[in-house]
Amino acid sequence: MNWQVKYALKYILATHGTASGQHIRDDAIRITMPDRPEAVAVISAAYTINDELAMQCHTDYPDMDFLCGYRKECVWGGGAIRYLESNTIGWGSAGTLNSAINKGKVNTAAHKDYSFSYRLIRQNRSITNLDREFDRVFTMTLASGRTFRVGMVTEYEPIADSIRTLWDQFGPIDIAWNINPNGHPTPEAIEAGRDLECEVMKWDELKLLLWNR
Amino acid sequence: MGRVKVAVVEPLMTACEVASYLLKSCKSLQEYESFMFGSSLFGVGSDFDILIVGPSGEPLNRLKAELRLAGEELPLDVLYMLPTEAVETKFVTREKCITLKQLADSEKY
Repeated sequence: MNWQVKYALKYILATHGTASGQHIRDDAIRITMPDRPEAVAVISAAYTINDELAMQCHTDYPDMDFLCGYRKECVWGGGAIRYLESNTIGWGSAGTLNSAINKGKVNTAAHKDYSFSYRLIRQNRSITNLDREFDRVFTMTLASGRTFRVGMVTEYEPIADSIRTLWDQFGPIDIAWNINPNGHPTPEAIEAGRDLECEVMKWDELKLLLWNR
Repeated sequence: MGRVKVAVVEPLMTACEVASYLLKSCKSLQEYESFMFGSSLFGVGSDFDILIVGPSGEPLNRLKAELRLAGEELPLDVLYMLPTEAVETKFVTREKCITLKQLADSEKY
């Protein structure tokens, strides 16, 4: 059994005492809970999940309800997200899978770190065009025609390394949006952003930018 | 094929073992302060939360590469802070972080 499958099964059992998990084969497990629909989850150890990998998993496990990127640093490409969502397959981290099991909505779940914030953006009427390149990076065009590439930062208190790593990994961004509603970026994080010509913002500042489009 | 309960019997590394393993595998950790925190200390949680405090730049890149290799088959969630950030955020005290050295020497966790 793969290491990530072992950890996933242990985590599910520790969190949901009544859950039962069964290893199907390779990366796939079946999760059963009383009064909840049975679900098949594929637990991937990939660092990056792109559309090609998502499609391959779907081909290998046609009854897959959820694709889990077990590594904390797992990055999801926009193409993979679109493919999975259009096929009613949930996607995200181990924490996302865990919450989804709890709610009994495994196949419609989306990465819990980003789903609320991205929904705020998707529903904002000041934005005329939106392209999700990765789970945490999107480009938005405002009604004025101005375009911004935005990176979502989940940390409670983003530090300089969070901003530099985002930039190194995904290329130039105009805005690093700290989507955690609590806490604030450290002065070093703001300074790191300034050095990279990228503004580190909380929702209130981003909202103002959208408002002034 | 096996039920979860069967899977749990298969040994997974404890917090102490992870600490000891990382200290042995990542030589660059000697240049940094390293801690574990969060639910992984108590054997629950989906991953092991690690805090690294020290300088940025090339030494940090080296350490990141070593940790990535060491964490190839381990669920690690690593947070890197500059010393000034660790002081400002009081993270170590607030999150009750325990040094990897202390963990490696202990059998409590």
